[in-house]
Amino acid sequence: MTAIANLTRAELRKLVASRTYLIGLTLSVGVAVVSVALDAVVAGKNGQPALGTAASTNQMLKLGVVCCVAMLVLGIIGSGSEYKHKTIIPAVLAAPRRGTLVVAKVIGIAVAGVVLSVLTFGLGLATAAAELSAHHLRHLPADTGTLFAGSVIAGTLFGVIGVAVGYITRSTVAAVVGAVGWVLFVETIIVRNVAPHLANWLVSGAAAALTDPGALASRALTPATAVAVLSGYTVLLLAVASRLVLRRDVA
Amino acid sequence: MTDVPVSRLKGQLMITVERLTKRYGTVTAVDGLSFEVGPGRVTGFLGPNGAGKTTTLRVLLGLAAPDGGSATIEGRRYRDLPNPAQTVGAALENDCFHPGRSAVEHLRVVATAAGIPRSRVAQVLGLVGLTEARHRRVGGFSLGMRQRLTLAGALLGDPGVLVMDEPLNGLDPDGIRWMRDLLRHLAAEGRTVLVSSHLLAEAVQTVDVVVVINHGQLAAQGPVAELAAVTSTTRIRTPDTARLMDALDGDGIPARLAEADTVEVRGADPDRVARTDAAASVTVLELTRHTENLEELFFDLTSDHANDRALEVSPS
Repeated sequence: MTAIANLTRAELRKLVASRTYLIGLTLSVGVAVVSVALDAVVAGKNGQPALGTAASTNQMLKLGVVCCVAMLVLGIIGSGSEYKHKTIIPAVLAAPRRGTLVVAKVIGIAVAGVVLSVLTFGLGLATAAAELSAHHLRHLPADTGTLFAGSVIAGTLFGVIGVAVGYITRSTVAAVVGAVGWVLFVETIIVRNVAPHLANWLVSGAAAALTDPGALASRALTPATAVAVLSGYTVLLLAVASRLVLRRDVA
Repeated sequence: MTDVPVSRLKGQLMITVERLTKRYGTVTAVDGLSFEVGPGRVTGFLGPNGAGKTTTLRVLLGLAAPDGGSATIEGRRYRDLPNPAQTVGAALENDCFHPGRSAVEHLRVVATAAGIPRSRVAQVLGLVGLTEARHRRVGGFSLGMRQRLTLAGALLGDPGVLVMDEPLNGLDPDGIRWMRDLLRHLAAEGRTVLVSSHLLAEAVQTVDVVVVINHGQLAAQGPVAELAAVTSTTRIRTPDTARLMDALDGDGIPARLAEADTVEVRGADPDRVARTDAAASVTVLELTRHTENLEELFFDLTSDHANDRALEVSPS
């Protein structure tokens, strides 16, 4: 346990010491705040739903996708860059039982995911509340508690998925392009149009059931089922990644 | 640069490589390699590029899995050591850093992961002369500074065993002398110091004992001076080469005809050769002894035509 505690502290130190996480956090929060503000500006114009309606609020609070994409990218960079910059060598020398390295990396990225998701959703929600308040609307017609929890869980699990993908692939850039392209393009656009029922059970579908107010309301998957599905993919990918980390020579 | 502080004597740890084999696909990088490295000396692990030095060190440090044999420290695999990072300090490559981190942050991350007190970071930065550059990003470091930072990482745990892969690469003459003094000082403290290098001229001035490998196999091992003596050659110019060779053969001294009038004997004591000549009443026109320097020895041992048999000299 001491080894894992030391390694986890080292992982958190890496996050604080590198600009990547701080840039990712800033971008994530910035995108969330700006997108909510833009949604508020265009509300009621050009056929957009009016501010204060459930449809408008749903549009504003689709913040989970920002958390998920940001954490997916940060997770991939977090593990992939260990090989890219060869920092995996001092890491393995410090912890030759590599399973502990993977556990510490997962704990570290999970903490990072919770912080990023809480700040991203929280500040996005605060912006939405401020916009509504400025228009004398006191009621937020959305299940914000469930969305908040869903965004934090999905963002955190996407971070862990990113760690697994980063360990599995050799190229960090290819992993980022491939993973984000898969989630946003292949699953969300192609599969959802070709086989919408199947899409609900994929990674992005399960995440949407937790973070998208529309999907949450449709009950395509219950939140509990969505968490189970997303956790299943996470554990599966992590198992593959762990096997590779344990068996692969460090060069 | 700062003087090396007097450190506590370390635990006289042995490195043992036993019938080690490592393959990458169809390529055998290390082929049944065996040698030992003892404490209190700087041992040079020498061989041309691609000889298998780095692969051997990687297996020793648990970064690569062997296909056969073993590489251990005090009889234990690296991963089985109780406090590996505080037993073995390793400096394998000089670019194992996140370029965006400062030197001090890099060392703090390594120290935290290995459970080493943070106070040690400032000590090793001072030891390698990087105190002033500690807050600079590693991405802007010169090769020599990276080499020093790599060494600082290896010394963080105040280890009893130091394993370094090509530590002299990228250092200027001052840096090489500093590194040489430091390695000697660390060995004098009782530590086991294993240093790989393909830079013969530099290595020979640093090491006490050499392990020479070629094509993944042991080519020679032993104290530098004694290896050179054993590989010395005695050349005898005589008009009667056939009778001389018969006499040497009869005395169990292997000889070869180097030229039409010259017989060459390798490794044997010249006095013994001269006595054999005299006993056989062979006319000797000239008898000379040629002692190889380490560089000649290295090229001799690592050439594609080198003898299959490894040359081994017991440490005196």
